[in-house]
Amino acid sequence: MAGARNLRDILLVALLLGVPVLLLRAATQDPGALGPFDRAVRRIGAPLEAGLSYAATAVGTFFERWVAQARMQDQNAQLAAENRLLRLRIRELMGVDEENRELRRSLQMRDKVSEDMLAAEVTGVEQSPFFRVLKLVLDRGDRYVRSGMAVLADTGVVGRVDRVVDDRSDVLLITDPRSKVAIEVARTRSAGILEGGGEDRCYVVLAAEQPIEVGDLIQTSGADDIFPRGHPVGQVIAVEPLVGDQQRLIVLPSVRFDRLDMVWVILASAPAPDAQAAPAKPPLARGLGPIR
Amino acid sequence: MLRALTLLAAGWILLAAVAGLGHSLSVTVMLPATSAVLITYLAYEREGALPVGLALAVALGYLEDLHQGTPRGALSLAYALTYLVLAWTSLRLAPSGLLARSLAAGLAILAVDLLTYLTLTLLADPLGIARGGLAEGLRVLHWHALATVLATPPIWSMLAGIDGALRRIGGQTSPGPTLDRPPLIPWKRP
Repeated sequence: MAGARNLRDILLVALLLGVPVLLLRAATQDPGALGPFDRAVRRIGAPLEAGLSYAATAVGTFFERWVAQARMQDQNAQLAAENRLLRLRIRELMGVDEENRELRRSLQMRDKVSEDMLAAEVTGVEQSPFFRVLKLVLDRGDRYVRSGMAVLADTGVVGRVDRVVDDRSDVLLITDPRSKVAIEVARTRSAGILEGGGEDRCYVVLAAEQPIEVGDLIQTSGADDIFPRGHPVGQVIAVEPLVGDQQRLIVLPSVRFDRLDMVWVILASAPAPDAQAAPAKPPLARGLGPIR
Repeated sequence: MLRALTLLAAGWILLAAVAGLGHSLSVTVMLPATSAVLITYLAYEREGALPVGLALAVALGYLEDLHQGTPRGALSLAYALTYLVLAWTSLRLAPSGLLARSLAAGLAILAVDLLTYLTLTLLADPLGIARGGLAEGLRVLHWHALATVLATPPIWSMLAGIDGALRRIGGQTSPGPTLDRPPLIPWKRP
């Protein structure tokens, strides 16, 4: 029984080995041709292979996207770091740009004002409870400036040096009630005295016959020998009639005191030292010397 | 019969899946020969009759021929001969463990590739094949073998799982060698 089974197996093995041999023989006779059986197998297998290929592609795409996402995360972190550095650089450049603009304005100031000037940096600000600027503190002390000197900015008149202490000085703003500035209306040349109104307003009282309109520009007249003539002070925002043929102009200063970083002190506008007030002659302010 | 058909279907699916993965990942050389793993499994698991295993090897070789575009019969003959060699060695060797099985599958695919190379070289003229191209193919055999070795453990586990499922369906509780083949004789020190 076992012998017959072995013989059967041997015959089957020989038969099965004959199949590829026959296939090879057919292939050598016509290498490119596909038989009906081949085509049938292909037709049966095509949907299976297409489905598996689609699934494999989907899996491959998933992993590809996963890898790409990981790569993108790395790239994102790198770009974020680079972005931080660039933002820092931009901030630095903005500072440089602002400084450059300030210096350009300062150069223009030198062209506009013929008197000797000294640049000063605003190091402190005193504000009202309503956040209005009441006083500025400059980084120039008694070695350079004296009280009473005019303080200008590129946009207009700021005020006068009020008090000088060691290496700093306080500025009395034109909005301070103690301030008085000789002005004129740019359009009509009507002269007057500008007084501080507190907060951010100034007042000028003129004769009612002067044709003043809202929007008229106010500039320094130079009559007080402190402020150089023709420097902008502000703009008329309201005209109020007063009794006795007078009118009061409400002036909005042209300078935004809260945005000042740098101002100019007019050295030539220093008042003469009061001999009676001070027994000892104070040392000559260095700022009065020629600027080198 | 059910086992043979199931394994044939599994072999076909694996063949198509590897081709699809290779296509989607743009891999051409380092693709595992799943059919080589399957015939190694058939030979060393010693389940089923020899002609059935040989028929499966011929069928898988034929499917490989159709897939790879080799002349029909070339891979079929190589798989058949390799299976016979594996079946003969299975009477003397019983590779156990993932590493031994993987190495056996790697050797099997090397044998298949070499036999195919030999067949095609011999029949190069009637088949109209350039011998230079065949020699080029020999240089990447190790990548093919390496991919097969790496892919063997999961494929072997899957085939064992299929066999286990079939046994459960058939009501058998434990695998055992078939009666029409001699059982393994334990090796004894002389």
